[in-house]
Amino acid sequence: MSQFQEQYRAKRVYEVTSANGRAEVRLNDRVVELGEKELDWYQKVVAWLPTVRGVADLSQDLGMSEARVPKFIETLEKSGLLYRRDAAPKSMTGLDFHAQFSSVLGSWLTEAFAHPFWERMMSGKGSARLFTGWLIELYHYTKNANRHMPLSCAYAHEKPIKQLRAKHYAEEWNHYHYFMKSLKALGFTEGQIADSVPLPMTLALSNFMRQAARTDILAYSICSAVLEGTTTDRKTYNPYYEKSGELYGIPKEAIAPIYAHLDLDIQYQHSDLFRDILEKVPEMSASRASLVLDHGHQLVEHIWLWTDNIEKYYEVDSNPMPRRPFDAFVD
Amino acid sequence: MSSTQDSLDLPLLKRSVTVARENGHVVIRHLRDEITLEGAAAQLFSKIEPQLDGKTPIAAIAEKVAEKPARLRVLAEQLEKTGVLAFLSAKDDGGLMTGLEFHRVHRQNCLYWLEAVYNHPLWEKIVTGKASRAQVIGFAFEKYHYIEAAFEHMGLAAANATPEMMPHLARHFIEEYTHGDIYRKGLRSLFPDELILHSQPLPSTRALVNYLSESATRSSFAYYSGNELLQLTENTDDEKDGGAVNEFYDAMRKHYPYTDKLIDSFIAHTKADQKLGHADAFLLMCKSVPPLTRREVNDALNVARNMAEHLLLFMDGIDTFYAHFATVPRLPCEPLSE
Repeated sequence: MSQFQEQYRAKRVYEVTSANGRAEVRLNDRVVELGEKELDWYQKVVAWLPTVRGVADLSQDLGMSEARVPKFIETLEKSGLLYRRDAAPKSMTGLDFHAQFSSVLGSWLTEAFAHPFWERMMSGKGSARLFTGWLIELYHYTKNANRHMPLSCAYAHEKPIKQLRAKHYAEEWNHYHYFMKSLKALGFTEGQIADSVPLPMTLALSNFMRQAARTDILAYSICSAVLEGTTTDRKTYNPYYEKSGELYGIPKEAIAPIYAHLDLDIQYQHSDLFRDILEKVPEMSASRASLVLDHGHQLVEHIWLWTDNIEKYYEVDSNPMPRRPFDAFVD
Repeated sequence: MSSTQDSLDLPLLKRSVTVARENGHVVIRHLRDEITLEGAAAQLFSKIEPQLDGKTPIAAIAEKVAEKPARLRVLAEQLEKTGVLAFLSAKDDGGLMTGLEFHRVHRQNCLYWLEAVYNHPLWEKIVTGKASRAQVIGFAFEKYHYIEAAFEHMGLAAANATPEMMPHLARHFIEEYTHGDIYRKGLRSLFPDELILHSQPLPSTRALVNYLSESATRSSFAYYSGNELLQLTENTDDEKDGGAVNEFYDAMRKHYPYTDKLIDSFIAHTKADQKLGHADAFLLMCKSVPPLTRREVNDALNVARNMAEHLLLFMDGIDTFYAHFATVPRLPCEPLSE
């Protein structure tokens, strides 16, 4: 592993678009414009960085002399596409960390909701069945808060943070009733929904939250903050419900409880909870900041794959909805 | 769970059965089986099918369709033997199933649930060379993460084991915890060790591992019932299945020459597993557990079915996620990476 490979890493890229021989690489804080050739070189550097291949191999890939490679890597760093690992602060305050989280949350949420399912639903290519399936999984996810929220209280070691997490749980624990109400308006009985089983990726979300709760209370709290971040602004979710209602004949009585739930979240100001928790953290090491940040981003990826799982299951008409548990005696 | 004459009251055509009518025959499909009824049996079945709801006693069905109860009972019992029909009664709820009987039912269902995994399009994409580099390397990384996670779920399983399951689960952990290193050796031909150790599994792989871990802390037997489904995909020393696996690796080497060392590690792992004789481990466990209640049977089988769904998700994650997000290896976040 060369010194470059130890020192440099690629910044997360959210989108690459190309037109007329120019490419735009979108990072969280900027858009970097590259020519076709530079884009190709940059991608080769990014592919080479985490490998065991030497500088000579990269120089050959790039078609430039070994002497020119360091200069090119430095240029990529200056443009913001690469970063030096040793440039990171050794520690930061909880509030500094929150500022960093807030600056990246928008990009993360764009990534989480970039799944083609949303475009499909908004363009009329979805179905009432997909809407309903998604709602059933949301019911399970919300009910499963009881599997991870109290666990986070149990594993939070400091009193002020325990207190905040417990208050959040007390305010949220029974919110699955809102989704039950919606599903009943769609014609399901309470028993059908209560006895149903979630999709594996719905279960995975709550299992991941449980894992985070056991690992570090801040790792858990960032996941919770990402999820709360999806419901802070009516402008982001209203169009989806309104369009679905219009396109797929979803009755207003099925949508009203969802709005009531989202409004309650805003009223409780749950999106401020992560800041309130981080205020109680005077110092975070770089390694703890990495761990916490990493859990937040893993949650983003979980949301993307959750959406994928919902679409793939409920788009098949023959799949049971809601899903029943297996019974060896009747199945 | 065998029924007695007293409990033969409420015949139920199993929920997962499909019935088709072809050229005057009735074709009943259940799991991987297909039963064909002809002539009088087909006619009688068609008459009583709507009543096979698990709520109507045989005598009432006979009266409704104007048939002799004894004739219905004969057909119903034959269908029960094939597994497409069950007799429900309050007495059955308290019935017990032996571990050996459970082993048979478990295997029958698992082989059916695994069909979706074996039919996943990713296999075909790799064999035909249509999979991308990220999907192929990603496949190796995700297999590594899954095998390496023996530390997590097998450790939790041994630590939370019931007394009769403890020796099995302890042995299993001790025999398996080094297997992640076999995969790591293959990956080291392409990536530095430090990066492999800190690389991040996909959410779908994490889902599989977490589901194993959660099951392991909750019920030793249900955990192993789920783990056994996974073992069924790993241990094959059957000549036909082994041949298919070799063909897969040969095609992979041909289309993706850079995976040569990775494939060596896959094969080394399969051989290591076969040497351990894990294929019989679950049978031994089933023999050692006390008879199981209906609740325990369903719990263990639901874990196995969920495991099959998580395994399908594992495959799907590699296929779909690496197609959309082609970064491999997946490195964890750092303060400046975002």
